[in-house]
Amino acid sequence: MPAPTSPGFGRFAEPALLILVSLSEGPKHGYAIMTDVESGTGRPMGPGTLYAALVRLEGSGLIEALPPVDRRRPYRLTGVGATHLQHQLTALSSFADLGLQRLRETAP
Amino acid sequence: MTRWLLRLYPARWRDRYGDEFAAVLGERTLGPFDVLDILLGAIDAQLHLRGVGARSDHRKGFPMSLRLGGAAAMAGGALWLVAMTWILLFDSNVGSGAWVLLLLASVALLVGLAGLSAFQARQHPVLIWAAFSLPAIGALLTILGAAMNGSGNEYWWGLFILGVVATIVGSGLFALATWRSAALPRSGAAVLGIASLISFATFVAQSGSGDSNGVVALFVVGLGAFSVGWIVVGVQAIGLDRQVAAAGTV
Repeated sequence: MPAPTSPGFGRFAEPALLILVSLSEGPKHGYAIMTDVESGTGRPMGPGTLYAALVRLEGSGLIEALPPVDRRRPYRLTGVGATHLQHQLTALSSFADLGLQRLRETAP
Repeated sequence: MTRWLLRLYPARWRDRYGDEFAAVLGERTLGPFDVLDILLGAIDAQLHLRGVGARSDHRKGFPMSLRLGGAAAMAGGALWLVAMTWILLFDSNVGSGAWVLLLLASVALLVGLAGLSAFQARQHPVLIWAAFSLPAIGALLTILGAAMNGSGNEYWWGLFILGVVATIVGSGLFALATWRSAALPRSGAAVLGIASLISFATFVAQSGSGDSNGVVALFVVGLGAFSVGWIVVGVQAIGLDRQVAAAGTV
């Protein structure tokens, strides 16, 4: 089973998935997404990576920008984005289950 | 700093995202990781708006850094050898073409390092970017020292030598990290590692023994090994890129 990816996202597929998961909680602006991803994964997400992924997600219609508050602009998941995220996480979960099952079968 | 980094992005990108991006940058103290990430993001934005990045996927995005990094490593290695040999054996005069060549070599090595690191960082980001930092700093110091040559500033030689040493030692560490990640062929990493070691050893020997012609010639041999190391890594990166293109996967 192939690992799920967002078509056309290339090396930003993983950051994009992390952003979608972060936004599944509710709208967030860029810095809030970065800190949320960092606290969830333990790995920092750089601002360049964040915006490269945001541009692609917005262009794909998976997220949408809300009116800015001060200079911060929040983003939120669209309906298409939520469905896409659901499919991705389900596929990842199945993939993880398969891997764990194989490990159990081959464990000494 | 923020304004300078923003200017690296295309004007159209800045019109849409500039304000909010600047707000994000203003929320935290920017470290080397952030600056590098922003530089790579700016390159991506430039390509994305020209339609290259928009089509990028695993078949194109990483091989692009692999291809660019490989070509730059080859060019940097070759230019480094020519420039250093020129300076050490023939002409160390301020303002000579050799120094311009050395500037170009250092810039090419920096681009090569960034490209090959970006390719490998998928699997071992912390290790690779940590290994990237020392030779990158070395290349920048070399560039700074060479650029200050002739300015009347007495520190240029110290900066230059420090940059050369950091580039050589850092290249050895980068080779170790490349060996560890195994994203690029290990034989090339071994060649670069050994070559860096030889280069550093001959540098130390040259520093401790004065400027006798024999020792300087030995140092040139060491620099030659260093250049060959980078050229081998570059050739292998290009070869891997071709294999990837043929197989259609990374």
